[in-house]
Amino acid sequence: MKVEVINRRTALRRLLYIAGGTLLLPACYRQSGKETIALTHLVIDEEQENLLAELVETIIPASDTPGGKELLLHLFVLKMVDDCHNPEDQEAFITGLSSFASLAREQEGQDFIKMDANKRIAFLESLKEIENEEVKRFYGITKRRTIQGFTNSKYVMTDLKKYELVPGRYNGYFKMT
Amino acid sequence: MANLNIDSIKTRTFDAIVIGSGASGGWAAKEFTEKGLKTLVLERGRDVVHVKDYPTTNLYPYELEHRNEITYADKQANPIANRCYAYREDTRHFFVKDEEHPYIQEKDFDWIRGYQVGGKSLLWARQTQRWSAYDFEGPARDGFAVDWPIRYQDIDPWYSYVERFVGIAGNKDGLYTLPDGDFLPGYPLNAVEDYFRQSVHKNFKGRHVISARCAHLSEPQPIHIQQGRVKCQHRVLCQRGCPFGGYFSSNASTIPWAQKTGNLTLRPHSVVHSILYDQESGKAKGVKVVDDESLEEMEFFADVIFVNASALNTNLILLNSKSDRFPEGLGNDNGLMGKYIAFHNYTARISAEYDGLLEYRTDGRNPAGGGYIPNFRNVDRQETDFLRGWAATFGAGRSPIRDTNGVGEELKKELLHDSEWSNWRVHSHMMGETIPKEENRVWLDTGKTDKWGVPLLHIDVDYAEDDWKRRKDYYEQMTNMFEAAGFTNIRTRDDGRRPGNDIHEMGGVRMGHDPKTSLLNKWNQLHLCKNVYVTDGACMTSTATQNPTLTYMALTARAVDHAVKSLKNGDL
Repeated sequence: MKVEVINRRTALRRLLYIAGGTLLLPACYRQSGKETIALTHLVIDEEQENLLAELVETIIPASDTPGGKELLLHLFVLKMVDDCHNPEDQEAFITGLSSFASLAREQEGQDFIKMDANKRIAFLESLKEIENEEVKRFYGITKRRTIQGFTNSKYVMTDLKKYELVPGRYNGYFKMT
Repeated sequence: MANLNIDSIKTRTFDAIVIGSGASGGWAAKEFTEKGLKTLVLERGRDVVHVKDYPTTNLYPYELEHRNEITYADKQANPIANRCYAYREDTRHFFVKDEEHPYIQEKDFDWIRGYQVGGKSLLWARQTQRWSAYDFEGPARDGFAVDWPIRYQDIDPWYSYVERFVGIAGNKDGLYTLPDGDFLPGYPLNAVEDYFRQSVHKNFKGRHVISARCAHLSEPQPIHIQQGRVKCQHRVLCQRGCPFGGYFSSNASTIPWAQKTGNLTLRPHSVVHSILYDQESGKAKGVKVVDDESLEEMEFFADVIFVNASALNTNLILLNSKSDRFPEGLGNDNGLMGKYIAFHNYTARISAEYDGLLEYRTDGRNPAGGGYIPNFRNVDRQETDFLRGWAATFGAGRSPIRDTNGVGEELKKELLHDSEWSNWRVHSHMMGETIPKEENRVWLDTGKTDKWGVPLLHIDVDYAEDDWKRRKDYYEQMTNMFEAAGFTNIRTRDDGRRPGNDIHEMGGVRMGHDPKTSLLNKWNQLHLCKNVYVTDGACMTSTATQNPTLTYMALTARAVDHAVKSLKNGDL
């Protein structure tokens, strides 16, 4: 029964991808029923989305302030890759995401989402040395977009580094302390 | 039926028609309506009502779907618009999309357009400098184009007139190369911009760095409050449309002002096809309009017509205004209409670093953008192997140093700190005069038309050898000045921009003394059809180095004054 459902889902996704339409996976098709985001070009399953959520949480972890997962930065990454990147980037992102998952298993003998925080960080550090271009490109895009999403998030811009719309100041001789 | 027609003609008859509602068209509307003339303003785009139609104006960065980035699909669909520095997610609705309004590029030319009430006055960079005596004398002295039929003293009072209403922030710098105006307080330079000003003053005779002069209300006067505008709030989100009216746009200023007189009829969605010539009277009698939405054709009539459609569209409309008397376009007996198009050469940039004055940084935002270096080349005499000169911007700033190599807590801290700052980074770009040449021209296609039945425009405009010599000089002189100031890591860069991307296209319907070699007289009237005036960029005989909008506005106010006096005297 479960297998059938997955096939139906996969088939539906492929159909939508080919049609170039918006892929909005209704909650009833998702095992967890969690909310997600409408995508036009990317095809992401729930497992991949969860992996991405853990990855952005590792890049920007929750501390006394919220982390990547709570700020939905994984959805922001997907949104930006889907709308603002060229098809080559999008393909590299999807392929790289799969390679990232398998590399974690091969190298660490464990799924990335099952690793503890220190092990995850160590794995990400190890990516600086690797040759796998797909993984590099995927991780590069994800990290850049995660940082952008974080610094431009409502939370950061209102609670941590206030963005002043008005009144604006200007002092060309501001004395540094 | 006959009566109906007469009534219909009556309702379509005005004292004055203004084609276009951008910076110069808005000024024509204000001046005509204030002087009591029933005025029809035809705008080809939609209406944009001040504040109400600025959908993004109060959005925070996180409220923009793509954090102000343009999507890949948009970039693919609109390569021309996307090459404009101001085309972003928060402003894109004020720009023409490439496919909607095609034109034919004989050579690469970025034609950046804003089709709506207010035109590009919503989007402009707001830099406003007067021309000097030297600029108006240029063509005569250096033997290019034709002599300007006016001199600085002809436009000086009109600059003042316009400046007081618009509101220009600037300092009285006392330079004859860049005359002072009726200014509001200028925006001060920051520590390193000011340091560079002093260094240049000390080491280079005749060269100056001043606060950039801009159309912002640094200290609003009663005339600005009456317009409903208040002090600039330093948001520097200008191109979204400013809810404070902190910078000048037709939408915030001249158009509502004209509306208050009760004499304005503003008709958006009105694509002007041509100007109608009346052989009997030897004057233009009105304009033919195609409704943007219904495609219905209609005619409007007036005693005087101002063409302010933006430089190249003004060329297009006049070239398309064909009659038995003027088979090549209205007033175009000499065949020069559409020729001698010029622009500004913006292709050169220079940047460097400075390790001094590290006890200071800039806090907040400067609406003027920083400093301005008025042209100092070939002013008193010809001194280089190219004609005329260049002006330049100058800016300096610092930014927090963020090491984003790590991940986790460490990265999070890096992204939020405010404690470690870079040294000063300084930058400049060139604004070079270009010499109008006959081969830089536009013309109408003989077969292809747009959706409104208007012929497509061919644009054949390019840089010339002179422009590269000028650029070389900019690199050399700026390098010298940077070195003298102790700046390091100096880098020059050709930014590869196409003609048109400066958004200062000018000419094609140039002013001059002689009907044989020019299209407009010293009052901006067509030599051969006196009740048609052209006061936008199309009228420009040469380009100088200044941002041109202030000059268009001053010429417009001057020309309306002339037109109204002429109407009263029965001269039109």
